[in-house]
Order: sequence, then C-alpha cells, then structure tokens
Amino acid sequence: MVTLTINGKLVQAEEGEMLLAVIERQNIDIPSTCNHKAVEPYGACRLCTVEITHPKWPGWKKHVTSCLYPVEEGLVVSTHAPEVIELRKTLLDLMLARSPKAKLVQDMAAEYGVTRTSYEEVPDGNDCILCGLCVRVCDQMGFHAISAVGRGHGKEIAPPLDEPPPDCVGCLACAQICPTNFIKYTDAGNKRTIWGKEFELIACERTGQPTITKEFAEYLSKHRDIPEEYFKRNDLTHRRELAATMGKISQWQREEEE
Amino acid sequence: MTIQNLQQLKDLQKKVTTEKKKFHKKVIVCCGTGCLANGAKAILDEFKSVLSKKKIRNFAVEAVTETGCHGFCEQGPLVAIEPEGTFYTKVKPKDVADIIEESIRGDKVIERLLYTNPATTEKTESYRNIPFFSHQQRIALRNVGNIAAHDIKEYIAVGGYQALYKALTKMTPDEIIEEITKSGLRGRGGGGFPAGRKWRTCADVESDVRYVICNADEGDPGAFMDRSIMEGDPHGVLEGMMIAAFAVGAHMGYIYVREEYPLAVRNIKAAIEQCEEFGLMGDDILGTGFSFHIRIARGAGAFVCGESSALMKSVAGEIGEPRAKYVRSVVKGLYDKPTVLNNVETFINVPLIIGKGSKWFAAIGTPKSTGTKVFSLVGKVRNTGLIEVPMGTTVREIIYDIGGGILDDRPFKAVQTGGPSGGCLPESKLDLPVDFDSLTEAGSMMGSGGMIVMDDKTCMVDVAKYFLSFLVDESCGKCVPCREGLYQLHKLVVKVSEGRGEEGDLEKMEKLSKSIVMGSLCGLGTSGPNPLLSTIRYFRDEYLEHIRDKKCRAGVCRELITYRVNEKCTGCLACISACAYHAITGKKKEVHVIDQDKCTKCGACVAVCKQDAIDVF
Amino acid sequence: MKQEFDKIPEIISKHRQDPESMIMILQDIQREYHYLPKEALEKTAAALDIPLSKVYSASTFYKTFSLVPRGKNEIRVCVGTACHIRGSKLILEQLENMLDIKAGQTTKDMEYTLESVACVGACAMAPLVVVNDKYHGSVKVSGCKKLLRNK
Repeated sequence: MVTLTINGKLVQAEEGEMLLAVIERQNIDIPSTCNHKAVEPYGACRLCTVEITHPKWPGWKKHVTSCLYPVEEGLVVSTHAPEVIELRKTLLDLMLARSPKAKLVQDMAAEYGVTRTSYEEVPDGNDCILCGLCVRVCDQMGFHAISAVGRGHGKEIAPPLDEPPPDCVGCLACAQICPTNFIKYTDAGNKRTIWGKEFELIACERTGQPTITKEFAEYLSKHRDIPEEYFKRNDLTHRRELAATMGKISQWQREEEE
Repeated sequence: MTIQNLQQLKDLQKKVTTEKKKFHKKVIVCCGTGCLANGAKAILDEFKSVLSKKKIRNFAVEAVTETGCHGFCEQGPLVAIEPEGTFYTKVKPKDVADIIEESIRGDKVIERLLYTNPATTEKTESYRNIPFFSHQQRIALRNVGNIAAHDIKEYIAVGGYQALYKALTKMTPDEIIEEITKSGLRGRGGGGFPAGRKWRTCADVESDVRYVICNADEGDPGAFMDRSIMEGDPHGVLEGMMIAAFAVGAHMGYIYVREEYPLAVRNIKAAIEQCEEFGLMGDDILGTGFSFHIRIARGAGAFVCGESSALMKSVAGEIGEPRAKYVRSVVKGLYDKPTVLNNVETFINVPLIIGKGSKWFAAIGTPKSTGTKVFSLVGKVRNTGLIEVPMGTTVREIIYDIGGGILDDRPFKAVQTGGPSGGCLPESKLDLPVDFDSLTEAGSMMGSGGMIVMDDKTCMVDVAKYFLSFLVDESCGKCVPCREGLYQLHKLVVKVSEGRGEEGDLEKMEKLSKSIVMGSLCGLGTSGPNPLLSTIRYFRDEYLEHIRDKKCRAGVCRELITYRVNEKCTGCLACISACAYHAITGKKKEVHVIDQDKCTKCGACVAVCKQDAIDVF
Repeated sequence: MKQEFDKIPEIISKHRQDPESMIMILQDIQREYHYLPKEALEKTAAALDIPLSKVYSASTFYKTFSLVPRGKNEIRVCVGTACHIRGSKLILEQLENMLDIKAGQTTKDMEYTLESVACVGACAMAPLVVVNDKYHGSVKVSGCKKLLRNK
C-alpha cells in the first residue's frame, strides 16, 4: 500500500496504480477524454494534468497527466491548482477551435467557463477530438482495422488507403467508445455499414433481431471458441431460454421434494 | 583477418603506419557532403586518374585519401597536402594537374589556391595557421578530414580500437562507467544529461536484455555535426558504442540514421561490415567472449523521431509517437528493455576518455561542461562551416575569430542556437560562454550545436514564424497542447507578420505558450515556444513595430514592405526576367518600374540586381 | 494497363523479415518505383506480419514516403534554418513558378516533382537544392533555370 496526499487529504493506493484512478475514487472530478477503462492510458488530451510535488523535492513541482503517473509514497497532489485550471481552460479552448459542435467538448469547456473558442476555428474541423480511443480499442480487440493517418494538425483516423478496411469485422467497439459519437454506422435490415464496409448481420432465429455481424461471429468462433450457433439467438432470447431452463430445474426440484 | 588480441591490433597498426612512412606526401580531398555539392568528386577522380598515369620518380604518393568534412565548407572544394599542411581552397578539376606538378612533385605552393583572409588579404599556406582552424580544438573531429573514413586500417593506424581493447580486457564495466562519470561527459545531442549517470541507471536495472542506441537522426535544421562525424569517422562512433555496450551489459545496438544522409549510412554500413570481418564486432570480440551486434535503422522524415521514445518506436517499426516519460527509457526503452540512447558526438568522445583518462577530458572546457563541442556555424557569417571548440569559449570568439565576422560586414543582430527548441541571443549576449547552462539561463540552449548567425536583414518575427511553421509540420499530433497549441501560436505570429497584429496579441501568444510548455507530452511541444519567447524577450520592440506601426524594419515581411527601383538602375533587364509575376516593366538602358499591384514582394529582383538599384521600404 | 510491381517480393526478401525492417523495405520499394503502390503496403504487411493499417499509417506519418506516383526527376529544396536565412523561400518560389506547381506536387508530364525538405545537412552551403541525389550548393535565383536543365 502507498500513502499519498490528494488536495490536502491523506489517501491510500495500491502499488502500481495510476493517480487518476485514485483521484476518481475520492470523488474528485477532473476532466479526461482519452482515458477509458477498456484500454491502456494514452496521455494525449492532457486534461487530467495535475500538479505534484514531494517533500523530497527541494522547492519544485511538476505537472503530469494523472492517467499515466504511477502513485508514489509521500506524493503531494493538487488536482485544482490555479495553473492546472488555466491549462485545462486553454486545452478546452483549443479543442473547441477544432470541434466546436462536439457536445462533450462544449460541456467540458462550459464547466471551465469557456463558451466559445478564443482562437481561429480550424478549417475542416469536425467532432473527432483525436483521442485515439477507437484505434486503441480496435487494436485491443485484435483487428487493427483503422489507424492514425498523417501527423500533426492534419492527422485523422481512417481505414487503410481510405478504402473499406479489410480487417474490420463490424464489431462496433470503435463507435461505442467514441466520446463524441463521431464514428457513425448504420444498421438497416440485415446489413450493417461502417467505415464504408458492408456486413451481413446474423438474425436471431426467434425474434429476427440482428445480433452481430457474420464476420465477427466467425472471428469469435475461430479465436475465442464461441460457437457461431450462439449468435443465432439474441440476448433477449438467450435470457428467455435461460429462464425456461431455470424454470424446468426448479420444477424438478419441487417434484423431487414431493 | 580476425584480430584476437592487442598484439595483433598493434602489429596491424605498425604495419599500416610503416607502409605509410614510405610515402613522402599525402593528398587529402575533402569529400564531406558540402564539398561534394561543390564538385569534390570530379576533383577526386581527376587526382586518381592523373596520379595513376604519371610515374612520380623518387618518391611515392599515398593513394588519394577521401576524407570526411574538414568543416571549412565556405571555402570548398578543399585539398590538403601533408605533411606540410598545405591547404588549397575553391579547387577546380582543372587545378589538379598544377597541384600535382607544383606541390607533389615539387615543393611549391600555388598562391592563387591558398586561403585569403578577407580582412587582411593575407594568404596562408598551412591550414594549421588559418584562424578558422587554429582557434579550434578538434577532439570529437580528431579523425574527420584526416583519414579515409571507409577504411578500417586507417582507423587502426591512428590507434583505433585500442581503447576498446583496454575496456574489454583491463577494466570492469563499473570502472568504465566510473571513468565516464568522472569525465563529466554530458549528452551532446541537446539534453546535456550526464552520460555516466545514464549508463549507471541502465546497468542497474535487472534485465537480461539491454540495448545501446546511437541517435544519428540530427533533426535540427542547420546542424550537420553528426553527419560529418559519421561520414568522416564511423569507426570512432562504433568503438564508442561498443565500450558503452560492454559497460552496461548490452549485446545489441542500433544506429538510427536519418534518411537524408545517404553517405553517412553507406560509410557506417561499410564500417560495421569491416568490423565484423576483423573480429571487432560479433560474437567474440577480440577473443574476449563479449558479443555485440549493431543494426542500422533508418529515419524517414520525422523530426519528432529524434525524441528518445519516438525513436525507439520507429526502430521497432511503428510510427514515431512519443510516450509520457514518467518511466524513463533508460529503464524501459526499446521493447520495454533498459536502453542507453546517446548522440553520435557523445559516443565519439568515449574511446578518447577511456584511452586518455577522465582527468584529461575533465580538464578541457568548464567544470560543469567538460570537453569540447562541435558546432555548425552557418547563416550570415563569413566562414560558414563545422567547428569544434572547448566548452566555455564565448559566442563572440566563435562568430568573429573563427567565423570571420558577419558577411558583407553587415551589423550583427542575433545568433540562434539549439535549433527549433532553442532561442536567439542578441548582441548584448555575445560574451556569454558557450556551455550547457549559460545559454539556457539566457533563454536559449546549446542544443545539438547549430549556430545560425543573423544580420540586420533578418526579421525576428519571421524567424519565430519559420520555427513555428517547422514545428507545426513536424508535430506528431498526439497531444492537444502541441498539435492545436503550436498551430494556433503559428497563426498568431503569421497574423503579426502580415500586418494584422492587434494590441494584446503579444500577451495572447505568451499566455498560450505557457500552456504549451506546461501541458505538452514531449520535448517538441515543451520547447516549441522557445524561439518565439526568446525573440519576444530580446526583440519586443520589433514585434510591437509590426503590430502598431505595421512596419518590418529588416525588410522581410512581405505584406509590410514595398520595393522601388531607384536611380542607380542601369536598365539591364535582369530583374524583369527574374520576376515570375511580370511586375516589372522597362526597356534596355531605361530605369525599370515595379508595378505595385502585381508585385508580391518575393525579392527575386533584389537578389539578381547587381547595381543595388532596388530599395526596400 | 495495370503496372506490375513484381520486384516487390524480391526487395522484401533482401531484409530481415522483422517489423524493424518496415521503414527500410518501404524506402527500397519507393526507390524502385518512385512511390509506394498499394501492393507495396499489402505485401510488406503480409511479409512482416504487421497489420495493413499500421503500414499505411507509417507511410503517411513519415514524410519521405509518397503514395502517389512521383515525377522522373525529384527536386528537393532544403528549407532548413540556415537555408531559410540565406533565401531558400525565394528559391522554392522561383522553382514553383518555373514548373507551374507547388511544393509537394508533380508536373503534369510527370517530369518533375518539387519538394521542400527540412534539412539535408550541408548547411554551410546554404541554400541547397538536391536534384536526383546531386547536391547543388549556394544556389542563386539566377541559377534556378540551370538546375532544371542540369539533371
């Protein structure tokens, strides 16, 4: 166990934990956009920056992103020091210049008193805040279908050569993790379209509702030992079957008791 | 042949030096990239062809030695004749026959090819007496310009690989690290981190695998120190890396070279192959059982890959996005293993420190910045080139005594050091000693050694704009402060340079800079605002002039200047043909006129006018 | 007629089949074909067991790569700091006007590609222009026409 101070209060943390998790446990609210429990921390948005110092550091302090900084014994953390607030204001201001219409950015910026950007709006700006979550979760899932293209200000997320990505299975992890809902997909009938690629959806045999794409089911069957059959029933149908089975079991138990 | 022990190494050294003794003269042709750009290859070929045809009686001439960069690029192509040190400048292929006749068969010097001091019009025969060279102390560059870089035997002839032998057989890894630490050697790539401490940390991490990487990316525009060292003394770099590897316990090394340096890559590759041939690299180096292999990794056009974590990603075949370095790369580097990453110039000093001792090295320079530093002295200075001086030498000495002062005797305005992470120093700082700490205190930094001299025709707002535009182009785009912040900062400076600046813009830029410095993920971002901040610090008036008076005193910012032809015009039509926008009219022998509506202020006309007939307002 | 890129497997085989070779393989392929065709990315990804998306990402991240065909002659104007101070911006502009393209583009007849490069390391000879691996130093405005002739 490690003991450190956050905003004047002594707290305990596990060895190897990152500061952000400890801070959040204290119900202290600091913004972050590129962090997500499903993937490794990335340190790109810099919003979770905090001010740290240590009695062993003679009169100096550091500013670090709490998502990536491991806890240390005796560390003194300030999550809302004036310089940190200024930094967050500027970051959100800059993000608004790129993504003025993104609700997430608008809401976070408003919390820091920024209602519109004080900079020039970026031409071709859109709701993508380049947090990288989509690419990271796609990599984590094992598909590596999309990636960062270009670098610097012109960077964007796209499939290879801007064509329908060969490695995408239509699992929707990217769309679900995207904090600004920038990644769009359409499910129409038994067709799913995302990143310009079309997929066939498996339909539940009982209700006709789509479950997952054929490609995703094939992958799960091949690499995760989940039989394709499983996806021929949707969640609701699975629950009904389970309920029916539980019902049968309790009936037998009753019959045995009698 | 495989060298198995020190005796064999020394025997080979003796053999080569004895062979060389029978030559009365040695001809050196500088084949650094600068001289090659000026036609050195044709001169080299001419020498080779003439010497092979002529039978020179009574004495022998050593085969023409193709060396790395002498550093006196302004005066190239360069040819030197040893042992006299006769130094010929601006040589042309047609001069070769004369040189052979007068200075090789004969003992005369060819006056017209000697270096002429522009201030005194004195001619100097030997390079050893030319101020450009005599003020230098060439330690890192000891072999550059003297030996044929691609020949391992030349390196061995000057004592090469004996320090490696000493390290492998007479010292323990701890003793080696101790020596490097005591020498005070600090990283020459710009960080200035104590090399000994870095090696110690790496060696102390529990791991069965460690790496040694040489950062030869040299991304700072205006810097070519590393290129010259790699082209001119590749074996020196390899020897330094091998000693480091033995000291920290690494068996695999990489040299990360930028793609724009094809000759350096060729020479390093050849050097590695030769080492392997001679048993100086491989599984059983010098018969000691120590194994070390080096691979070459190529950059592909990304300044950010000079940053350690980005470099390691690039080596591993990924894009060069840096990571937060709360766990330093010396602890978890390439493939998450402890890695020593040092610059080319840092490694080139290592064999000498081991060979001559830490005390010898620590006695050079200043107590906190020991040794020498190689600088690329470029820009509006007379003697542009590559120089090496002890730390502590003043900026003034470098620019005036070695550099020969400002080109065309124009007034000195500023010198930019440290590349895009550094800053500008004005005239009031000319007497600062050049070392790691003094320059940082003044708002700049030594960086990798680029020194760009600027005169009064340089606009400091334009300089800041240039650096910011470079950084915006090179930003990896991962973090918000750098990607968005530098972009917006650049936009603000453009606004000022184009005459659209408003009251409060300076404060806006300073405030934004503060956030960029505080919030950025890596050094590119955290030091990105430096050029802007240092030019504002020392040239605030110039910025205010752009904002309030819409004036550019240096005559650079296009939206703020006007070109007008004056009465000195002789009507030579030169500017008319140079103008791509057809903005100048006039007949032969008549004073030309610039149409201000069509003129884009590009400056082509001024560049070609030999009559000084175009004024800038 | 679709161009065959049959030299690609040979080029790939010359390197260690390891992700570390990715950049060097792409550089060699580009040297052969003057750009990176789709096949280059696909075959490299397959041979080194790297996802296609990552190879594509690298080909757009590193500025020396081109995914569109380049001209027969490559003209690279150095715009490093020393060259900038010595007037490289003007040289680039002159060449842009002469070739009627902007930096980064290729002439319609595929003869010339004009590019700016951050630094070629010959700073004392500023301003520099590299034409097809040949370095030209101390370039003057009046010397630009000669550069195009002198390939």
